[in-house]
Amino acid sequence: MSKNLVELVRRTHEHSAPTALEVLKDAVEARGELTDEDRRAAAAASGLPEAAVYGVSTFYDDLLAPRGRRHLRVCTGTSCFATTANAHVDELREALGLELGERRDDGSVSLAETVCLGFCHSSPAIRDGDLIDAGDAVVERVLAGGTRGASEPEWSSVLAEPVLIRPGTWAGFEHALARHTAESLLEEVKAARVRGRGGAGFPAGDKWAFARASPSEQKFIVANGDEGDPGSYIDKYLMEQNPALVLEGMALAGYAVGADHGFVLTRSEYPLSKPALEQAAASAREDGLLGDDIRGSGFSFDVTVLEGAGSYVVGEETALLACIEGLRGTVSARPPFPAVRGLYGLPTVVNNTETLANIPFIAREGAAAYAALSPGASSGSKLVCFNERFAAPGVYEVRFGTPLRELCEELAGGMRDGRELKALQIGGPLGGILPASQLDVAFDFDQLAELGCMVGHGGIVGFDDRTDMRDLARHLLRFGAHESCGKCFPCRIGLRRAHDMFEERRAVDRASLEQLLEALEVGSLCAHGSGMPAPIRSLLAHFADELGLA
Amino acid sequence: MRVTVDGVAVEVEPDTTILTAIRAAGANVPTLCFDARQDPFGACRVCLVGVAGVRGPLPACTTPCRDGMEIDTADETSRRVATAIVELVLSELPVAPAPHTELAQVARSLGVGTPRWPGATHATDHDERHPYLAFQHELCISCGRCVRACDEVQGAFALTATGRGFGANIAAGLDGGFRDSTCVSCGACADSCPTDAITEITLLRI
Repeated sequence: MSKNLVELVRRTHEHSAPTALEVLKDAVEARGELTDEDRRAAAAASGLPEAAVYGVSTFYDDLLAPRGRRHLRVCTGTSCFATTANAHVDELREALGLELGERRDDGSVSLAETVCLGFCHSSPAIRDGDLIDAGDAVVERVLAGGTRGASEPEWSSVLAEPVLIRPGTWAGFEHALARHTAESLLEEVKAARVRGRGGAGFPAGDKWAFARASPSEQKFIVANGDEGDPGSYIDKYLMEQNPALVLEGMALAGYAVGADHGFVLTRSEYPLSKPALEQAAASAREDGLLGDDIRGSGFSFDVTVLEGAGSYVVGEETALLACIEGLRGTVSARPPFPAVRGLYGLPTVVNNTETLANIPFIAREGAAAYAALSPGASSGSKLVCFNERFAAPGVYEVRFGTPLRELCEELAGGMRDGRELKALQIGGPLGGILPASQLDVAFDFDQLAELGCMVGHGGIVGFDDRTDMRDLARHLLRFGAHESCGKCFPCRIGLRRAHDMFEERRAVDRASLEQLLEALEVGSLCAHGSGMPAPIRSLLAHFADELGLA
Repeated sequence: MRVTVDGVAVEVEPDTTILTAIRAAGANVPTLCFDARQDPFGACRVCLVGVAGVRGPLPACTTPCRDGMEIDTADETSRRVATAIVELVLSELPVAPAPHTELAQVARSLGVGTPRWPGATHATDHDERHPYLAFQHELCISCGRCVRACDEVQGAFALTATGRGFGANIAAGLDGGFRDSTCVSCGACADSCPTDAITEITLLRI
């Protein structure tokens, strides 16, 4: 989108106008599909041009699938694939007589797909209205009209004194207000060498320093709660079970950077996240921890919680900002980086929710204590989560540097049902695939990178011995092509062509495929296009004989 | 600051992009989404170049120069990838672009012939409801030049990108065509379009 459009949005934002996306979301929620009348109303309310609103209305999954009185959304995430090889999707389609994205003529039922509902500990998952059911016999229950709420995952920490699995108390923030200047807090976070937990691993302190250095009077903190990696439910845990810790991290970021407002963008696939964060923000306001002149410090900070509308690429920081502005969630070329020109064109720090959840500990205990959490490895601790194929799936706080085998076999208990582990995908859809023979590697940024894998966001999806690796390649590329924002040419066209190569039972020409992967890796604008080849490269390296190559 | 382009030294102001430096040095790289009247967009990825000491090609249109940068417009990886991308672009059109269009010229300059990728192409969809401006949606390559011409040059905000991924395209207003939009018939979109997806009707009929 253009600078002019962002400037237009900034001016209407100052008048507290709702975003076009919010108005469109409400309309589709209320009436099941969008009409031009809804789009005109969204344009009038938001101040956006009608054409721009039309563009928004054709971008987000939630706005596209027509909804019946009963709207079913079947999860097509990677964990659900690992459990059923998509049998749950086929059973539901066949029983309902509906394809994905269709609604019965009488308006009674509609079926759509969603990636991913974050119930990967209990795959497969289906959302019926706002109720999410998961696990054995979920399709039968939903078809019989007996949808029930699935249980939330277990969570625990290997640390005697948990950092991320400890309910937020705002003690770090209160400590910082009393003992830290903005500068000294920033220095502490830089010294802690906290690397971004959203996937890229960029040092958070450096990001903050760029934004702090800007002379702009207004700056923003944005918590990225829309990473959306299929197979990860770490953000979901943080936002729903420990929202105060995320908000405390945001307030600390605001204090260090000189920002007085923060935004959290949650995922619409997690319907409980926004209410949980809003409730935590309301009680923080009551306790005088958010608002004007907090604890008489002269520092003011408050938070707005917004929800996305179904787009994986919105987890990329420039697309995330566009979504908060109510625009199409497409990626923008950097520079300028958000720290220089971000939300509404103003300096903005965008941190993943887990990154922010690390800050209260650093503020209270200091950089040295933070580094000591994982001796001889990257600083701090990390949340990981395991999919349903493991015997003990759940969210675990672990030390960096722990052998991957220990995480998979001891913590998560190995594969369930006596199955054998065939391979892992770590860190989301852009992470490489690690064959079961290579588990003797330390779980850390650099060590995993050497094997073509990554820490990413910390989701660990295990595939058992039944998994067809060609199906997995097709599954991943289908996701990649569907989620491409459509801005840069290699991703927009290349992922579609790569998916098509695996779509039918044709032999895949390896030379053409590798050329396509190179164009994606080298040419793409963001990590979506440049990262999607990583798992395909791993499959070529370790499972070439299963891919049907020519 | 000073940079070199294919060995030729050129003085540039701070914040100059690599693409501007290349053109200042009298060299060139092909582009599809770039229009000098608009902010750089970084979508087509055809302007990739090599830079000494940097791993992998960089997009020339959105990367600022650094002092002492050595820019190589003939970098092998860059040209190979740019060629592959243009081949992908041709593969999404149901017909070859007209020879006079920028896309056809770029394809010729990179030696891209008939694309080898089979599969889906854009659906043919013509809209000639407006007296002066016509859409041929199947020729749209989502370079965003028309939308930016409308937003940044004319300030009419009549156009938008639509859809996402392979289904991306353009629309005027609420997709009711140019006539039912805030279009002021200035023609800036047609002027910038590199494929004839938007043309002035008089030209179309000649």
